[in-house]
Amino acid sequence: MTIKVLAFAGSPRRHGNSETLLDWVLASMAGDTDVAIEKVPLTEANITICRGCNACEKLNKCIQRDGMDIYHDKIIDADIILLSSPIYCMGIAAPAKALIDRMQVFRSRKYVLKLPVIPPERRGKRLGVFLASAGQDWPHVFDAAIPSVKCFYHVIDIKDADISYLMINHVDEKGAIEIHPTAKADATALGKNLLAELKRRLAA
Amino acid sequence: MMTVTVLGISGSPHRHGNTETLLDSFLDGARSAGATVEKVVLKDLDYSACRGCNACHKDGECIVKDDALPLFEKMMAADCVAVASPIYSMGITAQLKGFIDRGQFLWARRFVTKTLEFSPEHLARHKGIFISTAGQNRDNVFDGAYPSLTALFHDAGFEYYDNIVANNMDEHKGIKNHPAALADAFAKGQKIVAVIEKLNGQ
Repeated sequence: MTIKVLAFAGSPRRHGNSETLLDWVLASMAGDTDVAIEKVPLTEANITICRGCNACEKLNKCIQRDGMDIYHDKIIDADIILLSSPIYCMGIAAPAKALIDRMQVFRSRKYVLKLPVIPPERRGKRLGVFLASAGQDWPHVFDAAIPSVKCFYHVIDIKDADISYLMINHVDEKGAIEIHPTAKADATALGKNLLAELKRRLAA
Repeated sequence: MMTVTVLGISGSPHRHGNTETLLDSFLDGARSAGATVEKVVLKDLDYSACRGCNACHKDGECIVKDDALPLFEKMMAADCVAVASPIYSMGITAQLKGFIDRGQFLWARRFVTKTLEFSPEHLARHKGIFISTAGQNRDNVFDGAYPSLTALFHDAGFEYYDNIVANNMDEHKGIKNHPAALADAFAKGQKIVAVIEKLNGQ
């Protein structure tokens, strides 16, 4: 069976540090013939912000018609969902936050309408990954992003223990991550480990 | 006598909801104490996300010319700025984050081109206040918001003075049913004007 990998590149800057990190993880999975990868740069995804109208609490769908019409279904179908973002002003970049806020439709489905988000047999058989880069060298520079990332995954039935993180600080200028001593090796290992773990769970 | 100026920035895409109502109460309090008050609603502005191009690291200027830049100017001309956002997914809205991210040119002026510096006296006289509501009742629901507000206030020359926050909106069925939040915000609006007047020697 095919393992579906859906990867959102959340940076407004194409091919920068956080997207490179994402590319390394994807490259380490790409050689596997069982894997189908789709990478979505949010700069091209036409995802507008959540209006906070709460209509999804009644309708079980979003009233906005945009790129999320496509990605809503792909998010449900995917086995591994990755999100990358740089840290801007101590938080996740605005385009990535826009995607996370639009997950409200899943939150409404799960917690308000109490309907299944994914078929019960797929629970525990999906994995999430958050990749981030930050210019600052502070170790706590990623802290404020993480609660929103957890929301992103919780509402699509990926629990804390099934979210992996690779966050590299002190990389600012484009290409800075290329000379980081461990980032590429860590990203490559992460991709391979994710695939192995998912295959183990699917076989169980 | 100089009139204290208070700018409210509403970062909710939902007009006249809980957060904007709380902001309005704060602004009403400031107005009642004699301040000149203005409210800007981000939803009505046209600005794009920071592109991360780092052009501002060369000369401190943002190359994206849209409604974000005049709002930063307006903000920096105020004595007090009250920035409001509901909590969506454990953080500020994408709309407010979009505006805050555009402040990168101010950060660049402070730390890269070194053409912007605020004295301790300036920071003490300029007060930044974060106003927020959250549906959830968790105490930590606002924690993810504070660091980005810190970045905004410091880069624009404001002391991060206070948070006016109210959680558990879902259970209260809205801010209007909250036992104290609106009255507290009004009182804090009155008080901030007196605090700034005193700092300005009035």
